[in-house]
Amino acid sequence: MSHAGDRSPAATLTLLDATMVGIGAMIGAGIFVLTGLAVETAGPAAIAVFALNGGVTTFTALSYAELASAIPRNGGGYAYVREVFSAPVAFVMGWTRWFTYMIAGALYALGFSSNFIEFGHIFGVDLPGGVLFWAATVVVVFVTLNAVSTAASGSAETVITLVKILILVVFVAFGLQFVDLGEFQPFFRRGDPLTILPAMGLTFIAFQGYDLIATVTEEVEDPERNIPRAIILSVVTTVVVYLLVVFVALGTLGAEGLSGAGETAIAQAAEGFMPTFPVIGTGAALIAFGAVFSTISALNAVVIGSSRVAFAMGREAQLPRRLGRLHHRFGTPFVAIVVSAVVMLVAVAVVPIRVVGNLASLFSLLGFTIVNLSVIRLRRQQPDLRRPFEVPYYPATPILGIVLNLLLGAFIDLTTWLLALGWLAFGAVVYVALSRRERDRMPEPPETGEPEISEPEVTISTED
Amino acid sequence: MTESLRVIVAGGGDVGLRTAELLDDRGHDVVLIERDPDQSERVAAEYVASIIEGDASRPAVLRQAQPDRCDAIAALTDSESTNFAICMAAQRMADLHTVMRIDGDPDELYPQYVDGTVSTASLTARVAVNEVVGGGVRSIEEVGGKVEILEVEVAPDAPAAGKTLAEVRFPRGSLIIVDAEGQRIGGPETELTPGERFLVAVESAVTDEVMNLLRG
Repeated sequence: MSHAGDRSPAATLTLLDATMVGIGAMIGAGIFVLTGLAVETAGPAAIAVFALNGGVTTFTALSYAELASAIPRNGGGYAYVREVFSAPVAFVMGWTRWFTYMIAGALYALGFSSNFIEFGHIFGVDLPGGVLFWAATVVVVFVTLNAVSTAASGSAETVITLVKILILVVFVAFGLQFVDLGEFQPFFRRGDPLTILPAMGLTFIAFQGYDLIATVTEEVEDPERNIPRAIILSVVTTVVVYLLVVFVALGTLGAEGLSGAGETAIAQAAEGFMPTFPVIGTGAALIAFGAVFSTISALNAVVIGSSRVAFAMGREAQLPRRLGRLHHRFGTPFVAIVVSAVVMLVAVAVVPIRVVGNLASLFSLLGFTIVNLSVIRLRRQQPDLRRPFEVPYYPATPILGIVLNLLLGAFIDLTTWLLALGWLAFGAVVYVALSRRERDRMPEPPETGEPEISEPEVTISTED
Repeated sequence: MTESLRVIVAGGGDVGLRTAELLDDRGHDVVLIERDPDQSERVAAEYVASIIEGDASRPAVLRQAQPDRCDAIAALTDSESTNFAICMAAQRMADLHTVMRIDGDPDELYPQYVDGTVSTASLTARVAVNEVVGGGVRSIEEVGGKVEILEVEVAPDAPAAGKTLAEVRFPRGSLIIVDAEGQRIGGPETELTPGERFLVAVESAVTDEVMNLLRG
């Protein structure tokens, strides 16, 4: 017998919740995992790297805000591009967005496990198993959680993100007084300002989480106003937090110390100046805890993000349709989550962390270029479309977005480009195969009769 | 297949907005065209459709809704002639299913030009009658302006109550289709048990006779 549904529907998100969805996906990776790598590449100029990346990403964030206010669809950047461009372009967008989320998941998982092991060290515990073991474990745990429950989003995420921000605020508050401006000399590594560009490419991934807000639009209250606000607020907040944290880390530990510390750079900086807290122990323990906590919640966010993109593509038959179905019992895009998880695990196992960062950044840059193009094309195609939020200084803003995104992409190394092209080529094969299959499935269109638009009611039965 | 449709809704008044909401609830993508900025703001607040601000009967506006990518168009403004013009223009731009709202008597040649017509007047009237008359008889659908599908509960003291269809002579122009649970197609042995509900197709000329037989 059918009975009334008992699975709770998705929560309604306020402006604060929606903003925290974006911040949650951004803060976590960039700051804890990539600070060390950025300093290694660019020296103290890493702070300029974060500032400039914030500027670059703002152009795209404005484009996102305009599209999200005008096009009421879940599915993020992919859904907007699908609205504006032909199928192959939309496929490239979805394919790269999907991959970005999965690879970002791998990055966060690796960041988590380094910090988790470090966390153990602080308390004098040697955790068994290596970095890979813990990275794979955390992916499996969070994928399982998301596969069987839709309760992952909502106010719990808001609290978690606020805690993340709070820990970083504590870090900054204690650290500011110990900052030695001498550590910023010489500003550029080897005196070469151009080292900034590859470092920007490497860390760009830390600035792309606001895309996730665009995948939950229909759950946000008063969406046409709140989504543009949430996107912009989350970018601004994130950039401010990044700059403060990087400033303190550089000013206290110095460029040499940071680049040596890799993924645990911030925790090591904290060790230098943080006082001892009751219960938690040293300041380094607090930061290591923050890093573990942040990478976990960022990982959770991208697991949701990747499955939503795959789900949207499955609905449009741009990926196998099975990915576009909800699980009959859990109500989650089960197949989409599992497939995403498998790719994430492979990335964790075989790709080194620096390449992972580069690859995710490159795909973000390509995807964001298409998003900016969409704004321009939509303005031309549909001049009378209602746009509750409009990009200021159009067309300069999206054009600058495109140019800067491509410029950063150009400074990412050749290996990454080759890997990226490989993934795109694989995508092309999938695309061609799928459109063949779709064509075979489609019966010949009837010569006379009217198109069939009365489809049977979709009954979601909860029968056991 | 649960594939989602792309639908253009022309006219963002109460009818257009509600249609867009229902379509969105079922997972379809809607582009709504509305001329009045205040009204379009009201629609935008619902976040169920992207909105083109303009007069849908102008091809330059209609084309922005991309009929070539859409499966259907519903012209639901309060002007019948505008709706007809919109459907004609859309058909010229692309091959899609057209539905128009009419308010007066339908022109008998409409079916040759549009795929579906919706008469707000007769829909409202039917629901009003259901509400007024209440239990026992519900109008389900009107077909072609003359035939109505009714759901009728057999009254205990009605002339036909407890008889089989073979025993009762219904007027020409009426047909007992099926019992309301959808169990059996009406046949000679079907018994009109009191309290059971049946779907009945009737021509308007004989509705009162059939009512008399089934309701008393």
